[in-house]
This record gives sequence, C-alpha cells and structure tokens, in this order.
Amino acid sequence: MLDLPRPADLFRSTAIRWALGIALWSALLALAMFAFVYWQTADYLREELAETLRLEVRAAAADPAAAATRVDTWIAMDLHATHYGGLFAPDGARRAGNLGAIPDRLARDGDAYRVSATVDLAGRRLQDEIWAAALELPDGSTVVIAHDTDEIDRVRATTLRALGLGLVPTLALAALGGLLLTSRARRRLAATEAAVAEVMRGDLGKRLPVGPRDDEFDRLTRTVNRMLDEIEHLMGEVRSVGDAVAHDLRTPLTRLRARLERTRSQAHTVAEFREAIDQGLAWIDQTLAMVTAVLRIGEMEDGRRRGAFTRVDLGEVVAVAVEFHAPLAEEKDIDLALTVPPGLHAVHGDRDLCFEAFSNLLDNALKFTPPGGRVAVGLQRTETAIVATVADTGPGLPPGERSQVFRRFYRAEAARRTSGHGLGLSLVAAIADLHGAPVTIAEAAGGGCLVTLRFPPAGADTERSAAR
Amino acid sequence: MAKLLLIEDDSETAADVRADLRGRGHDVVWAATGPDGARAARDGGWGAIILDRMLPGQDGLSVLQDLRRDGDRTPALVLSALGDVDERIRGLRAGGDDYLAKPFALGELAARIEALLRRPVDSRETVLHVGSLAIDLIAGTGRRGARDLELLPRELKLLEYLMRRPGQIVTRAMLFEEVWNYRFTPKSNLIDVHVGRLRRKLEAAGEPPLIHSVRGTGFTLSPDA
Repeated sequence: MLDLPRPADLFRSTAIRWALGIALWSALLALAMFAFVYWQTADYLREELAETLRLEVRAAAADPAAAATRVDTWIAMDLHATHYGGLFAPDGARRAGNLGAIPDRLARDGDAYRVSATVDLAGRRLQDEIWAAALELPDGSTVVIAHDTDEIDRVRATTLRALGLGLVPTLALAALGGLLLTSRARRRLAATEAAVAEVMRGDLGKRLPVGPRDDEFDRLTRTVNRMLDEIEHLMGEVRSVGDAVAHDLRTPLTRLRARLERTRSQAHTVAEFREAIDQGLAWIDQTLAMVTAVLRIGEMEDGRRRGAFTRVDLGEVVAVAVEFHAPLAEEKDIDLALTVPPGLHAVHGDRDLCFEAFSNLLDNALKFTPPGGRVAVGLQRTETAIVATVADTGPGLPPGERSQVFRRFYRAEAARRTSGHGLGLSLVAAIADLHGAPVTIAEAAGGGCLVTLRFPPAGADTERSAAR
Repeated sequence: MAKLLLIEDDSETAADVRADLRGRGHDVVWAATGPDGARAARDGGWGAIILDRMLPGQDGLSVLQDLRRDGDRTPALVLSALGDVDERIRGLRAGGDDYLAKPFALGELAARIEALLRRPVDSRETVLHVGSLAIDLIAGTGRRGARDLELLPRELKLLEYLMRRPGQIVTRAMLFEEVWNYRFTPKSNLIDVHVGRLRRKLEAAGEPPLIHSVRGTGFTLSPDA
C-alpha cells in the first residue's frame, strides 16, 4: 500500500527525501515548542516562588520579636522539606531555622536570589542550591527565607524527559506522514513515468494520466499532453511530408530512368541523345530544387537565420519583386499593380528571404490568374504592423483549403496539374514565421485569393544594424 | 588559358570538372586531400583555386585561411554540399572570392571561374561601348549605331553588367545577384524573359544579334563588328 521504494533507490527517491525533510522539520518545530513552553513555565514558577519569598521575608522582618517563630512556621508549613529559613544574630550565629549560615553573597534587600547554602535536613548538613530572600532586622540580626530549587529543576527535567520521550514517536509519525503524503505523488510519478516510457518506445498516441484535481501536477501533465499532441501532429506531418517528398522525387526520377532506358535502346542520332539528356537535366534540376526547398524550410524553421537579420525596407523589396515579375504579367496580359505609400517600411529581417517570399506569392498569383485578370500588391503601415497584401483574380481557394496551402507539399486539387513542387507557399509560411509575421489567406474582392502578411515594424533596437 | 588548382575529394566530380574546364582551355591540376591541396597551393602560380568545403585531412576553409594568412591572394571559389545559408557567408569570410553550392551546373562553375580570372571591372567608366552599342550611365541613355534605345532603368543596369564583360559568359544566377541584387534561385525563367525583352530592344529587325544565349548556362554579349 505504501509502495516503498527499494533500499538502493531510497535516498535517490524524492519521496523519501521529502519524508525525511518533513520529519526533520516537525522535530524542529516540536523542539521549539517545548523550549517555549519550558521557558514560559519555568519563568512563571520562578517568579511565583520569588514573590512568596519576598512576602514571607518582609512579614518576618516586620515583626522582629516574632521573627524566629515566623521562620519556624515557614519551615514547618512545608511537608516536602523544601522550605528553609533562618534567623541569625549580627555575629552570624543561628538563632532559629534550618540554614547552617547566612548564604554568602546574599544581598539583604528582601529580594529573592539563587544561592548556594548549607542546610540541616533530617539531622544532616547538606549543601544545596536554594532560592533565598534576606532582610536585616533593626537589631542587626538577619532573617532569611528560602526554598530549594528542586521544584523548578524538576520542571526542567520533566520537560526534557517529555521531549526526549516525545521526539522519537514524533519523528517516526512525521516520517510516516511524509511517506504517506509523498507516496501518493510517487504513485502518480510512477504512472507518468510509465506513460512517458511508452511514448519513448514509439507509442505517440499514449497520453499521461491526468488526475481529477486541477493541481500543479495535473496542469503540468496537461501541458505535457498538449506538447505530445503537437509532437504527434508534427510527426504525422513529417511522415506525410516524407511520403510527399518520396512521391514527388520518384515521379521525375522514374521518368528520367524510363527516358534513359528508352533512349539507350531506341535513339540513333546525336540529336535524339541530346534531347534526352536535356530533358533528363531538366528533371534532375526539378528534383534538386525540391530537395533544396525542403532543406531551406527546415533550416528556416530552426530559426538560426534570424542572427543575420538587418533593417530591411519592405517597400524596396516589394517594388523590385513586382518589377521582376512584370514581364511575366505582361506576357499573360495580367494587370500587375503596386500600391506603396511613400516613405520607409522598415522591418527587421532578411532581405533575400523577404524577396523570395514575395516572389513566390507573385509567382503563385500570376500562375492562377487567368489572362486579362489583375494582381494587386499593396503595402500599408498601421499602428502595429507593416501589412503586405497580394490579391489576385484567380479562382480563389475554398475556405477549408486556405490554411492547408501553407503546409508542405500541399497542392490544391485544382492545381495538381500545374507545374510547381507545392513548396512555394510553405516557403512563404516558413519565411513569414521566421519574421514573426502572421500570414493569412482570405477571399479577395474579385473572388480570388488575398494573401496578407503582417510584419512587425522594425523597432528602435534594430536601428543600429544598417541595411546592407 | 589559365592554370587552375582543383581541391576536391570526390574523384568523379573532380574528373568531370577537370574535363569540362580543360575543354574550355584551362589547365587543371587536381588534389584530393586538404594537405595535398595546401601544398600545391603554396607552390603558387595558379590563376584560381577551386576548393571543396569538406576535405579529408584538412578542412577546405582552413586551407584557404592558411593561404590568406600567408598573403596569397589567388582568387578562390569555394564549393560546398552543406545546405546551411550561413555556409556562404562563412566561405566568403574565410577568404573565398565566390561560393557555389553543390550540386552545381558545370557551366555555372566555368562562368564563375571566368569571372574570377578576369581583371576586376573598372566601374568608374560611365560611357560604355561594345561594337555598335553605346550607353551613357549618367544620362541613362543607350544607342545602337544611330538608333536611340528606350531602356528602363533595370534594362540599363542589365546592359551595363553585360557590356562591362563583353565576350564573357554570365549565368542567370550571376545576373540576378548583380543586377537585381538579391540572392536566391528564381523558379521561373524570369531572367530569360528580362533578357529577351532587352534583346528585342537591342536587335531591331535585320540587325545582327548582340546577346547570345549559351545553352544551359546563361548569356554572353559579343560585339557585332
């Protein structure tokens, strides 16, 4: 039930360390408590006794004639032989009482002091620690009223004994309590550990058990579970990307292989061989472009390129990208329009990558816009962002596919037959992500696609890194 | 034409690069390891050095760094199969004059080596002449023979780049890097479209061609007379 760990693990186990810690802490608390109680009790007793002694000695001194009787009464009042007293002549000789002599260094001011004295007890002379108060009478003699210290000492002894007796069970109980408390946590940890082990063995669908309480541990577990969801999702994506890469790589390679084989057996002229080789080179370049794109996306996703970020004028980048694509638009009779307000549109980023992103977006927009259509590129400065838009008058995308197109290798069904490796928009998404720029697709006014990128404007902290 | 040192550990690649560059009239010596390459480089007398980033024995970049430390300024082109974007920067920082990622087209390598072997272009000239072609960079005007050319600013830049390197093959990537001043590989054949438009302006009906396409590689501008 207690689920005790094996001895070897004993001190490595957090549960045991916690239990010991709790025990030690409880013991310390008990000790402090005892000390406080003892200190308070002893103090009270001592003060009570001192007060009695003060009153008694004053009463005895008030009536010098009856002082001896008073002393004897004080002594007789006592059943446990703890009262002492004495009346001493000016020369120190005892006139009454059971004290051997006036204790040394006892001030005769009526206050109570702890002193050492010789006492007659049951016919024997003993040296004892006593509490005593003394006063000098008008005739020069001294009256002493005293009480032994045993009672107070006994309180201390009793307290210490109680502490000694109580400490061991307290420690044991505290340790047990600690174990009980921590073993529950231990059981949960063990269950979690087992689940993690299963995940590590490859069962990515496994989740950590979450308790009914919403404590820190449950919250942590839920966070880990969310992380596992994300990992599972990513793994799934990697797998499907892997499949897509394999498929998209195999296609040109299969064609290449078939063409080489066919050319070898059937081609007769140098021109035929040349043609086959040129086609083969084109297919190889297509394959390599895809491999490069996949590698670049991976590289961007790990974010290292951010180290080379500088201040980039997005206005210039967009203008050059539009100018670069203008001949293509002209050939297809597409109206390629650019709207950029004057002034600097500074973002913190990588100039080449920004260009690549816009180039890919333009490439895509021009590819899907029919002749006679329009592609509009805009840049706007808002309070919080520099917003770049690319709108086309193409067929647009159904809402369900809008977020999909940024996934690697996704190609809208309708686009399956057009050229391209399906990585253009994934690259855009990776570049946007690297720049902290959310990218969205909506429906443009004419029914086409409206891609929006919201770049965070370059802050003052990037002023120092000059544009290259 | 020039004596080239190729430091590359893959014998197949080295053989093809050698054969291609020899076919273009260069004398190519091959070293297969870092230490061998470093020794050969120190012998001197090379027109240019082509070296792989990763070599057995000694890393290509450290071979280059050692050379530069010894004051050797021989133009060097770094080849690398590493995909990292920082690779290029690292290659240039180590003293490389150009950088080419593997896999590369042999034509691209040859064109870049050609560019390294030429004397640095004197960019102070603002009026350029190649055959019947003339441009004035300050005025932003161009003429072919007696005919005025209407050139867009980018077309003028493109023409300037070609005219400063008459007879030299320039690749699409070189044009994109130098004329548009961006670095990435555009998917579409946009560079060809731009060059095609420029060519149509330069070569009116009946005029002999000035810009020639080099199959699979790029373009070259050669004087018409």
